[in-house]
Amino acid sequence: MTIRAIPACMAATLLLAMPIAYAQEKPGSAPDMSGMWIVQDPGSGNWAEWFDNVPKPQLKPEIVADNQRIVESERAGNVVNRMPRTAACPVGNLPMMMASSPPLNIVVSRDEVLIGAESNRGRFIYTDGRSHPDVTAPSYVPSGFGHSIGHWEGDTLVVDTIGFAPRVCDSRRPVMLVPGGGRAKDTTHLVERYRLTGSDELSVTFTWEDPTVFLAPHTYSYTYKRLSEAVPIENNEEPSTAQPDRQYTTTKAEK
Amino acid sequence: MRRRLIGLASAIVLALFGGRTGAQSQTASGHPDLSGYWELRFDSFNLPRAVLTTAAQAATATRLKRDLDAIRGCVNVGLPALMNDRATLDIRQSASVIGMVAKAPSSTRYIYTDGRKHPDAEELEGTTNGHSIGRWNGDALLVDTVGFNDRGITAIPGGGYRTSRSHLVEGYRLSGDGQQLVVTFTWTDPVVFRRAHTYAFRYYKASSISEPRVVNCIANDAERARFLSEVPMPLRF
Repeated sequence: MTIRAIPACMAATLLLAMPIAYAQEKPGSAPDMSGMWIVQDPGSGNWAEWFDNVPKPQLKPEIVADNQRIVESERAGNVVNRMPRTAACPVGNLPMMMASSPPLNIVVSRDEVLIGAESNRGRFIYTDGRSHPDVTAPSYVPSGFGHSIGHWEGDTLVVDTIGFAPRVCDSRRPVMLVPGGGRAKDTTHLVERYRLTGSDELSVTFTWEDPTVFLAPHTYSYTYKRLSEAVPIENNEEPSTAQPDRQYTTTKAEK
Repeated sequence: MRRRLIGLASAIVLALFGGRTGAQSQTASGHPDLSGYWELRFDSFNLPRAVLTTAAQAATATRLKRDLDAIRGCVNVGLPALMNDRATLDIRQSASVIGMVAKAPSSTRYIYTDGRKHPDAEELEGTTNGHSIGRWNGDALLVDTVGFNDRGITAIPGGGYRTSRSHLVEGYRLSGDGQQLVVTFTWTDPVVFRRAHTYAFRYYKASSISEPRVVNCIANDAERARFLSEVPMPLRF
């Protein structure tokens, strides 16, 4: 997925975020958050600064050391992912998806919430009262999205996620990064709280917990603006020109 | 001519689906709630043969080859393949939009039911799913889709293929106390069809989805590519 420039999307937001009617139909008594939403960057200027532009988490010393190792490795020029893509590579990256500029496309139905990034598929949040599966069972297939269940507390959708993949296929940093420098992996627990703070404004508060990563719960919030009648783009190349494994292999020029 | 065909297709959809009621779950606004997991079975298909133009007949083999390349390349399959997926289809309905997710690698399909129109053609970038708007007529949902491109799997059940000039009209209606979902598909395309091509699928409600929701499609899997591209040979004993 192409991560487009945050500032460009802010401009698009200003152009596209026309007022629209507050959704009249609601699943039960809950507000309808369905629609396209774009994250609001307060003006960091680039992806790395934006991703770190949250309250600093209290990290375990070994995570701090690993972050330093990643920084030094990238400074040394290791900026290309050279890990081959295989069927064992987990799909998705929740913290990046929720922070990225492709708008979230949310559909709130009676017992499930879909959240995609643009037209891409993404997360499934089950609101039908089910519990998490045994994410340690061999039958569970971990992903970068984990397993999410949700319930409504008044006007707030509370989402509980576990079951993240322990590692990702990336030679530069084989773990999913959490904004501020944390990690999301198989021992991680995320609680999100979604609330409309206006007809065109959605607030999501993230609280990450993991005894192997954080010394205390790591909490931050994003604000998303509604994109009225926007049409999701599709990042879909022609088979003849597509290079689906391009980012996972090296070219002769790079060797 | 094309407008008359589209009108006729819409009339058929209305005649088949308009004004019926049943014991079905409803949304707060009184519309049937199509949300759920839906699957196709062996008896789900009412599929007449399409009547193709001469040009479409001549192009079919090339199109099939392109479709196979798209499968090999893990390109989003798009419509109509998304609706043909034999794995469970997840349909989610809100007041303003309906989302559809198949297991096959594909973009999520969105059907806007908030009263919006299609964007102007010059502003609409073609996609594999096109741009879909829906409106309710009694207990039937009528969906109009334009703005396709010719990427992904383009083959249309019964014959023909999707192009940037394709127009799809669908009718959705719950039946069997909400345990079945009948969908009629009517394709028109002056490049491909000599007359409107209509077929119908009946989906059965599934209790849940237990399998992983995403296919991890690996385009550079050499064994997979060989399987898809080599001519199958009989095993020798």
